[in-house]
Amino acid sequence: MERLDIPTFQPRLRVLNREQALAIHGAALEILEKTGFKMEHPRVLEMLADSGCEVSDGEWLRMPPRLVEQALESAPKQLSLYDQKGAKSMDLSGENSFYGTGSDATFTQDLETGERRRTVLKDVNNFATLVDGLENIDFAMSMANPEDAPIENIYVYVFAEMVKNTNKPIVFIADSGRDIAKIYEIACIVAGGKKELQKKPFILNYSEAISPLRFPENVMEKLIFCAQKQIPLCLPSGSNAGGGAPVTLAGAMALGIAENLVGLVVHQLAGKGSPFLFGPNVSALDMKSSVVCYGCPEWSLTQAALADMRDEIYGIPIWAFAGASDSKVLDAQAGAEAMFSIITALLSRANLIHDVGFLEYGSTSSLEMITMANELIAMSRFYLKGIPVNEGTLALEAIERVGRGGPGSIFLMDDHTYDHFMEALFLPKLIDRSRYDAWEKDGALNLYNRCNKEAKRILAEHQMDPKPDAVIKEIEQILKQG
Amino acid sequence: MSEFKALSEAVIKGDIQAAVAETQTAIDAGAKVQHILDKGLITAMDEVGEKFSTGQMFVPQMLRSAKTMQECMKLIKPLFQEGELIAKGKVVIGTVRQDLHDIGKNLVAMMMEGAGFTITDLGVDVSPEKFTEKAKEVGADIVAMSALLSTTMPAMGKTIEALQDAGIRDNVKVMVGGAPVTENFAREIKADSYAPDAGSAVLAAKKLLGIS
Repeated sequence: MERLDIPTFQPRLRVLNREQALAIHGAALEILEKTGFKMEHPRVLEMLADSGCEVSDGEWLRMPPRLVEQALESAPKQLSLYDQKGAKSMDLSGENSFYGTGSDATFTQDLETGERRRTVLKDVNNFATLVDGLENIDFAMSMANPEDAPIENIYVYVFAEMVKNTNKPIVFIADSGRDIAKIYEIACIVAGGKKELQKKPFILNYSEAISPLRFPENVMEKLIFCAQKQIPLCLPSGSNAGGGAPVTLAGAMALGIAENLVGLVVHQLAGKGSPFLFGPNVSALDMKSSVVCYGCPEWSLTQAALADMRDEIYGIPIWAFAGASDSKVLDAQAGAEAMFSIITALLSRANLIHDVGFLEYGSTSSLEMITMANELIAMSRFYLKGIPVNEGTLALEAIERVGRGGPGSIFLMDDHTYDHFMEALFLPKLIDRSRYDAWEKDGALNLYNRCNKEAKRILAEHQMDPKPDAVIKEIEQILKQG
Repeated sequence: MSEFKALSEAVIKGDIQAAVAETQTAIDAGAKVQHILDKGLITAMDEVGEKFSTGQMFVPQMLRSAKTMQECMKLIKPLFQEGELIAKGKVVIGTVRQDLHDIGKNLVAMMMEGAGFTITDLGVDVSPEKFTEKAKEVGADIVAMSALLSTTMPAMGKTIEALQDAGIRDNVKVMVGGAPVTENFAREIKADSYAPDAGSAVLAAKKLLGIS
C-alpha cells in the first residue's frame, strides 16, 4: 500500500473568532481617539502633537487611528534574540514559543532553609546560573530585587550579575533613561560593540505604562532610548481586570491593547522599524486580597486571545506569561497553576513567555519552581508535537511481527520499540513513576524535594562558559563608576 | 445598633438609596447626628470590615459600603456644630515621590474613611515637603505612605526625615505599605507601622492611635 506524506496537526488553542478580535481592536482604537491618554514626557507629547494627535488639558492626548496603522505597518514582524555568544536562540516570529523567568521578586524561597527571605544579589547569580543550566528555559530575568545592591543603580547591578552567570538572552528592567544607558554600555561590551549588539541583540527591555492610560516620563525615556538604539522592547501595562482596567476581560484587553498601541506609535515615531514586542499583561485582581493573580485562568485566557489577535490583526510577536503561582509554597496549587499556564501558552503559540518560577503572585521567586517548570515545559512541548502519522509510526510491520510472533514475542523486545521509544514517548526526569518500594527506598521524596535536590545539583555542577576576563573587568569598572 | 438597624443593613448591603433614605428618616425623627454616625454608620462599617477580613465579602462590595457611608455622611456632616464631629483620627495619605501607582493607596484611603478616619488624600508623587506641610496644616495624627517600586522606597525614609526636620515627627504616627515594603524596611526607616494590605492598614491605624 502506498501512503502519501500526511502533515501532522499540532494541537492549537483558539479563544477568539475574527469578529471578537476585530471588535476588541476597534474598541482599543476608540479609547485612543475618544478618551485619549496622559503623556507626561514633554518631548514625546510634542512629537505626538506634531504627528496629528489632538492635545487637550495640558498632557491629555487623543490619537487618530491612522497613526496606529502606520506604526503597525512599520513595526518589524520578525524579532529574534541571540545568546550572548552571538547565536540566534530565540526566533520570536510566527508560532515559536520561548520560556523564561520573571523580574524583581522581593522575596525568594531559600534553597537551603526553605524560608521566605528578602532577595540579595547572590540570588540573581543563582537564578541566572540555573536558567543557564536548564534546557527548557530560554531566557533570563532577574527573579530578585536585591536588598544589598545600591538602590540608585540596582538594575545595573542586577544586569551585570545576570551577564556574569548566563549566556542566554536577558530580559531586563531599568528605572529611567539614566540607568538604561549604563546597562546598554554593559551589553555593548558583552556583544563586542554597538553594531554587534544591534545586529544580534541578546537583550530586551521590559517597561510598563500605568493603567489606565498614563505614560510617565521615565518610562517614555526608556522607550525612546530603546527605539533609537534598536534595542528590542516591550511595554505591557498592568491592565488587570478589576485593577488598572475594567473587570470584564474584553474591556481590560481593549484598554491594555490601546496602551500598547500608544507605546508602539511613540516607539515607531522615535525609531522607525525598531523591534517591538507586542502585548499587555491582562491578569485579574483577586476580589478578596486585591493581589494581581499569577495563577488565574483569566491571564491564560487573555494571552491566548492576544495570540489570536496577533494572527488576525497585528502580526507582531507577543509578550506572555506562564509557570507562576499565587501559592506561597511549591505545593499542589503551584503545580496545577504552573501547568495550566505553561500548556495554554504553548497551545495558543505565545512567543516570549516570562514569569516562570514565581510563587506568591510574583512576590517570591523559587529555584525549585523553575526546576519543576522546566519539566512541565518539556511535557507540554512533547504534547505540542501531536501525533505524527506515517508508515513508521503506524508500525504495521511491528504489529505483524509481534502479533504473529508466538509466545514470548513482545513489543518491548521488538527492534521498532528500540529504534523509536526515545522520540515516541515522553521520558520524564523529575516526574516520579517509580514503583512504590523503589520510591520509598529512595527517601519517599515528593516533587518539591526532588526539585530542591535537582536545583542544588545544577547550581553545584553546571559550568557556564565564562565571559573573558577583559569583559568582566570592564563591567566592574562601570559598576565602580556608580 | 437596633435603633439604626435598617440603616446599618443598608450600608452593609451597599444600598445607597436605602441608606440615604434611612439617614434622612433618622434626622427627621430627631436622632442625634453623633448617634447616627456611631451606631448606624460606623457600626455597619465595623461589621463590613469584619466580614471582609474573614472572606465573607469581596473588595467591590466593601468599597460600595464605604461609598454608601460617604453618601450618608454628606447628609449628616452639615448638622454637626463646628468641631463637634469626633473623628477617629486625621490621616494624610499619598504615594511617595516619583511613585505613580495608586490603586493600593486608594483602597487604603477608602477603607480608613469607612472606619471613621478623616482622610486627606494627596494623590500620587507626593514630595516629603508636601507630606510635611499638609500634616502640619491639618494636624494629622497619621501620615500614611505607599510605594510600589523599590526605587521609590527610599523616599519613605526621606519623608520621615522631613517630618523630623519640621519638628512634627513626634506628633504623628507614620504608616508605610506597598508591594516591595517589608516589616524590616519599616523598622529600618523608623516608621511606626507597616501594613501588608488595606484591611490590616485600618487595624494598624486603630492600634497606633489606641482606639478599638
